[in-house]
This record gives sequence, structure tokens and C-alpha cells, in this order.
Amino acid sequence: MSIPRVLNKKNRILLKELTKTDFKLRYQGSVLGYMWALLRPLMMFAILYVVFSKILRFGDEIPYYPVYLLCGTTMWSFFTECTSQGIQAMVSRGDLIRKISFPKYIVVVSSTLTAVINMLINLFVVIIFALISGVTPSLTWLLVPLSLLELYLLSLGIAFLLGAINVKYRDITSIWDVCIQALFYAVPIIYPISMVMNASPLAAKVILLNPIAQAIQDIRHNLITPVSATTWETIGCFWLQILPIVLIVVLLILAALYFRKKSKFFAEEI
Amino acid sequence: MKKRSLGTRLEQFTDGDVAISVQDLHKSFRLPTEHAGGLKQAIFNRLRGIRGYRDQRVLEGINLEIKKGEFVGIVGRNGSGKSTLLKTLAGIYYPEKGNIVIDGTLVPFIELGVGFNPELTGRENVYLNGALLGFSNEEMDEMYDEIWKFAELEKFQNQKLKNYSSGMQVRLAFSIAIRAKGDILLLDEVLAVGDAAFQQKCNDYFKSLHGNQTVVLVTHTMENVRKFCDRAILIDAGKVKLDGDPNEVADAYTALWK
Repeated sequence: MSIPRVLNKKNRILLKELTKTDFKLRYQGSVLGYMWALLRPLMMFAILYVVFSKILRFGDEIPYYPVYLLCGTTMWSFFTECTSQGIQAMVSRGDLIRKISFPKYIVVVSSTLTAVINMLINLFVVIIFALISGVTPSLTWLLVPLSLLELYLLSLGIAFLLGAINVKYRDITSIWDVCIQALFYAVPIIYPISMVMNASPLAAKVILLNPIAQAIQDIRHNLITPVSATTWETIGCFWLQILPIVLIVVLLILAALYFRKKSKFFAEEI
Repeated sequence: MKKRSLGTRLEQFTDGDVAISVQDLHKSFRLPTEHAGGLKQAIFNRLRGIRGYRDQRVLEGINLEIKKGEFVGIVGRNGSGKSTLLKTLAGIYYPEKGNIVIDGTLVPFIELGVGFNPELTGRENVYLNGALLGFSNEEMDEMYDEIWKFAELEKFQNQKLKNYSSGMQVRLAFSIAIRAKGDILLLDEVLAVGDAAFQQKCNDYFKSLHGNQTVVLVTHTMENVRKFCDRAILIDAGKVKLDGDPNEVADAYTALWK
């Protein structure tokens, strides 16, 4: 599969139309419509804020903790939405796959692009909140898109791999739901990584080897406060530092190869 | 699990006079023998060395050749493999063994209104369906009015599709489908749609195709085979049973029940 064929006109049109349709359908029939793209993460944030900032007082040592928390939950929602939608994509678009011949990756990409659009809207809100709270814009903001891309590629890798298996074994959807629950606590979103560091520096280092944790900490570090510890500062060894990135690249390549191999039989197996 | 062998499907553009060439095409499907839809069953089967599926042979050595400009009908009973043949030609299924060579752009209609969504308006569905057929927004803008006029549904453009009757949906889908331009059209049983007046329009459309376009039509209606086709092919039990004059093939098809 060469690059020009992957991005030819027909495929581009299809990708665009399917993304548009996905986005429209997501909020179809709800009174507030697209507003939910904003309201849902804000509500999740409100709950977490009351519980972890006001009651458990997790954020006392981090400046701008509310924005810090909002930024984390936004990125987490992006990751969960992207992977869940991506894994489901082949099955929910089974009607197309059975009836027309087209590159199947388009279905996965179009369903994750909806999550990207949602995330960008939410990121805008995060930035506004940050400015209101007194965060000063800095040049490090320019590094944020890199981390976003990293998080997206990771989600895409997971979506391709698990989505391809999910065509035959629908158990994957349920298994992934549980994984997401577990991962939520394995990534320093609601608790500051410094809390873990005080208890066990080793545990903190292990946590920061997780690509999701690395990307989210980088985004918060560059966007909100340098106090947010990153993988780069915490881990000394160069090879361990780049481990999260290597993991993502390897996963993405393997997932793409697996998906391409399996996609030949999606039409008859779905 | 045994690795599946794969045949080839090649698309090319040459000046030759053959549009579709199929050699020794085989296709079988893996049907789960038990309720093997779950991961547990799959692991269990593998541990015990059970295959967990059986091969359902559908196409068993199809050979055929369709010339450019020919209008060819494919007939056969339910389950004879003609839809599988069409889907394999269209590239939806991968050939298991054998070769397919397609010369020219291929436009398959396995079903009308693929991707139609009841929650979207008629307008949105037209653009979505158009994109699935390979039309850009600009191209759709150009033929937009014509589509609605042909479907005779101008008044319903902004209604959600779920408020359309099934006849209206099919008419709309058909109107979009016939805009598609390709060197080869693959049609699966899409002739008889709508009321008598609309059917007349459809018939006119098929007559206009005759002689100008390579068409492969899968149908159960022998009247259409006799009326439109230059040639017909009878498929039975995954093999070509008869290939030739439409009237002869239509007779042979009818004789299958006697």
C-alpha cells in the first residue's frame, strides 16, 4: 500500500464525510447538541475537583491545581474516547464493510477524528481557564501539539490492534472498558505524581514510563506549570526516557501490520 | 489455525477488449461450528486442538470472461454463489484461490443506499452516499437537484430519512446510484424499485446503458435477462453451468425447478 493510494481523492472524501457524519450523529436528538462536547468533561471535572481538591486536598502543593486537573481529565477523556470509538468502529460500521470495498482503516481513523475534534474544543476551554487562573503563556506551549500527536498515535495503535481483534471476538470491548478503569488510577491524573514520589520513588518512575502518563505530564508541564514532574526529569537513563516513545512506535507499526493483514477478511467475519 | 491461501485480484487500465476475466475462482467461508463467538470458546478450542469452524465452499472454480461493452446477466438459485461472486469481483471479499483481472474503473451496487442513516436528513444522506460512491462535495453539488428531481422527492430534502417510506428511500438511493460513472457497473438485484411509473424510468435507464457500458447484473427476474442482456451466465453450486444466449440461459434457469 503506497502513500499516494492511501491518500487518494476518493479516500479523502470518504474520510471527511464519515467524520462529519460521526460527529453529527454523536449529539443527534439531544437538546443541547454539540454543547455536550463541552459539558461532559466540565461536569466530570467539577466532580473530581470537589472530591480531590476540596475534600481530599490532593492539590495543595501544585499551583493552579484546578486547571491542572481539568487539563488531565481532558486528555484522559480524549484517550478513552479515541480508543473506545476506534475499537468499536469496525463493528458499528459493519454495514459499509459488508457492502462496499474501501480501505478499512478509514473507518477507524474517522471515528477517532471525532474524539480529536472534541479534544481540541476542550483544550480551548482549558487554555481559557488557565489564562483566567493566572497562568502566563510561554514558549513551551508550542511543544504541546507534539504530545497531543503522541497521545493520538498511541490511541490509534490501540484502536487498530484491538479493533481488528474485536471484529471476531467482541469480548474486547468489555475487556478494554475494565482496562480503562484500571489505567485511570495508574496514570497520575487526579493525584499529583509527587504524592507517589514521596511514598516510593521507584513506583513514581514506573508510572512515568507509561506513555499515557508521560504524554499527559508533558502537556501539563508545558502548558500549565513546570512543577508538574515529567518523565524526562524523573528518570535518568536515556534509554528508559525514550521507552514510552519507542513503545508507541512499535505498537503502531505492529498494529498497522496486523490490521492490514486481518482487514482482508473483515467483510466476511463481521 | 490454518493459514488461508489467497488468490489475486488485479485492477488495471488497458486498451484490451476484456473487461473482467476470472480464472479458477474459489471462495469458501469459515463458519463457526459451535457458538464460537467468544474469546473463551476460541481459547478453549485452540487448547483442545479443535478447529472451531468448518469451511463452507461457495465458489468452486469459476471461469468467465466479460468483454467491454457487454451487458451480462448472472442468474442462479439462492445460495448458488452469485452474490459471493459479485462481492469477490467488487473486492469486498478476497479470492481464496484463482485470479480476477478487472480492466477499468468498477462501480459496484451490492445494495442501494449503503450508509443511509435514518437520523440524518435526506440532504445529508445524499452527500454521505455520494461520498461512498466516490463523489466529492463539488460533484454532488452539481448533480444535487437532478437527483431529487429524478427521485420525485424535492419536497422532502430536509426531512430526516426515518420519516421517509421505504419506497421513497429506495427511490432516492437509486437516483444517486445511477449518477455513478464507471467503466464497469456491477448490479445486484436493484431493478425493481418503486411504483409502476418509477419502474418505467428505471427501465429507460437500463436501456440507455445497453451498448454503452459494461454491466454485470445479478437477477432472479428472467424477463430482465431476456430484455436487457447480451449474454447470460447460469451459476449452480459454485460453478458455471451454462454461459451463452440469454434466452437459453433463462430457459435453463426455469428448468431447474422442473
